[in-house]
Amino acid sequence: MSEGFWGSEWFRLILGLVIVLAFSQLNALFLVWLERKVSGHIQLRPGPMEVGPHGLLQTIADGVKLIGKELILPLQADKKLFFLAPVLVFTPVLVGFLVLPFGPGLVIHDMNVGVLLVFAFSTITVLAILTGGWASNNKYALLGAVRSVAQNVAYEIPLLLAVMSVVLMVHSLSFSQIVESQKTVWFIFIQPLAALIYLIAATAETNRAPFDIPEAESELVAGFHTEYSGMGFGLFFLAEYTNMFIVCAVATSLFLGGWNGLFGISLGIPGVCWFLLKTYFLIFVIMWVRWTFPRVRFDQLMNFSWKVMIPLSLANLVITAIVVKII
Amino acid sequence: MDELVKNEAGDRIYTLNLGPQHPSTHGVLRILLDLDGEYIVKADPVIGYGHRGHEKMGENRLYRQFFPNTSRIDYLAGLLYNHGFVLTVEKFAGIKVPERAKYIRVIASELNRISSHLLWFGTYLLDIGGITPFLYAFDDREQILDILDTITGSRLTYSYCRLGGVARDVDSKFIDMTRAFLKRMSSRWADYEALVSKNVIFIHRTRDVGVIDEELARQYGVTGPNLRACGVAFDVRRSEPYEVYDRFDFEIPTGSRGDALDRYDVRFREMQQSCRIIEQALDHLPEGEILTPKVPQKLPVPKGEVYFAFESPRGLTAYYMVGDGSQTPYRCHIRVPSFGNLNVLNEVLPGTLVADAIAILGSIDVVIPEIDR
Amino acid sequence: MKIKDIEARMGKQFAGCPLERDEAGVTGALWSISVPLAGLRDAATEFKDAGFFLESITALDFEDTFELVYHFNCYEPCSRVIVRMLCGHDQLAPTICDIFRGAVWLEREVHDFFGIVFSGNSDMRPLLLPEDADYHPLRKTFGKVGAYHKREVIYG
Repeated sequence: MSEGFWGSEWFRLILGLVIVLAFSQLNALFLVWLERKVSGHIQLRPGPMEVGPHGLLQTIADGVKLIGKELILPLQADKKLFFLAPVLVFTPVLVGFLVLPFGPGLVIHDMNVGVLLVFAFSTITVLAILTGGWASNNKYALLGAVRSVAQNVAYEIPLLLAVMSVVLMVHSLSFSQIVESQKTVWFIFIQPLAALIYLIAATAETNRAPFDIPEAESELVAGFHTEYSGMGFGLFFLAEYTNMFIVCAVATSLFLGGWNGLFGISLGIPGVCWFLLKTYFLIFVIMWVRWTFPRVRFDQLMNFSWKVMIPLSLANLVITAIVVKII
Repeated sequence: MDELVKNEAGDRIYTLNLGPQHPSTHGVLRILLDLDGEYIVKADPVIGYGHRGHEKMGENRLYRQFFPNTSRIDYLAGLLYNHGFVLTVEKFAGIKVPERAKYIRVIASELNRISSHLLWFGTYLLDIGGITPFLYAFDDREQILDILDTITGSRLTYSYCRLGGVARDVDSKFIDMTRAFLKRMSSRWADYEALVSKNVIFIHRTRDVGVIDEELARQYGVTGPNLRACGVAFDVRRSEPYEVYDRFDFEIPTGSRGDALDRYDVRFREMQQSCRIIEQALDHLPEGEILTPKVPQKLPVPKGEVYFAFESPRGLTAYYMVGDGSQTPYRCHIRVPSFGNLNVLNEVLPGTLVADAIAILGSIDVVIPEIDR
Repeated sequence: MKIKDIEARMGKQFAGCPLERDEAGVTGALWSISVPLAGLRDAATEFKDAGFFLESITALDFEDTFELVYHFNCYEPCSRVIVRMLCGHDQLAPTICDIFRGAVWLEREVHDFFGIVFSGNSDMRPLLLPEDADYHPLRKTFGKVGAYHKREVIYG
């Protein structure tokens, strides 16, 4: 019985869940620190320096502060939904880790619909944002939530279309198989357009600048999480960074060869290092973009999606399908 | 949630109370926006949160005592307001100013103008979501504050000018720092242009946004860069030259469309022109006194009125003082440019998006305490 | 030259009104004209048609009367002109906010500070003062006051 349990899928899942919970939190804290460092160096300043070496422990101190803060419930807010939203925003993010292939065999549960699962669950995030924005009884929050829904609907489509072109080439929705088939050539070289569309749409999906209009602080104060304090805000914040990690990890798996080295040359570096290296590089690119560009306007964002991204990704998908059929 | 979607006429208009505490209202401005979705139907700016009664204070203080107040009316251009005030009183009382002091005042004023524009540049980009240019601009502005610190002893509220001159002479350190700053800036413009002016997102956010045409500007008394953006080359430094501005060779940048991009462009080029003025003033800085020795304690102010207009970074600013022959003015009125510049938003904002409203408000460059006085 | 144009127009419109030239330039204006209170709207219309803009509206409080001072300017060198009129303490002033739309706020400010009511201006809410303010701080009867003169003490 015991031996059966230790080797069973259940044990793998529970162990995975514990690791994921620990990793996602630590990773999010690290990313917040990284973001502050990156922005600091871009802006000619050192960023956090005081707590820990190069401010490494700054975000932990911030986290402790956030936990210690009072959760304020605005007058006439919908209490149940208000506190449900931060939980709702964080849970689906964790599911994504279930199927991400960190290395050969290093995947908690390799599902044959892994790609679908990640995107299906990441869509719940927008529901959480809408819930939080609506329940706050605040006009800025509501405006932010409404923007978020429109934006996510618009960018989900090119995102999935870009992913589908890769899926068509591999004939599989399993991450491990997609990565396997990039052993020699990464898909970014075969599908550069899909990769670009994916990166742009993913930036919009995660509400990152220049597409951060749901929380545009100069317009909507803080957008959908205007009324959240303490850990309520903290969870939204951590979810944003975990989300960012997931979309970048997915991009790594789909386009940058996952745990594979460039053109099959691994240089003796373990696969998991390759994977994390590429993921963090993508995260760095997204941060770099954030600290360089101003924010686009809402209608421009929608126009860009419906008039440019969706037709392009559709065309890309059709061409891929034809080429795959011919070959 | 009922009051959230308040509809008086049975339609879907609701009111958003933007401010007085909001990240992009630059001080304490409150705008009541009637919104249809994200489109603005009606905008009603509510001001007065920073009213300190400067005009009443002016009536209760000696002319000399009103100095420190002037640099607090528009805290971003304290030196220019200070400069304008001494010019007003000097004109009223007929006090002569030495040449060297005039040049120093111009140099200090233009430095202050650049610092004000740089602050605007940074916060404007912040308003439309670009955070990094803000820190670059503040880095440059810091240099100006350091330079002005060496001669005035303060960083924001300078009170540097005196009746008949200036408080302290400039030394070689000041001149070296200013020249170094000019050299630094000459390479910075290209950086700003690459980072901001040519950025496609920035251009799309500002082009054809918040158009103020010449007629609208005239109706509301819009002046300064906002007026020049619609193609009118009206600058008090040129139209009624005061101090020694008529001796310098500088251009008055103008736009053509009167939109936010033009206003940005005009201010951007204005900073470069200010650098040119400083350079010429430094080249021709005469030797001599910095303060007229015989300014009587009791100012020879006549009965009657004086009106003096000067160009602040935000436009035509003027002091209007009525004297009854005593040492305190009978009436002290300050014409502030932001007043008309903000008022025009009543007509510009309707029909735009909330995001545009922020972009327009930022491009107008209002300093709310200046309006509130 | 818009300034010549407006001088001719004003001379025709307000033939009997005193027009003071300021050679020394202390007042910042080329000339100032005193018109009766009822003539304000006609004067403003002339200025609008001549291409001027309204630079500032302010008032002075004297023991015997208020005096309204309007500064008009145009986008040409040294073209400032003053229009002034006496307005008794209990008189209403005519609004010019339909002629210069920016006058709404300027008149509201004068109303705030002096309590002069502009008839025809539909929006007389306090602008700079609190919404419930019932005092007028720049009147010489409010707060600390240095001197309270009759108009002739200053203007002779």
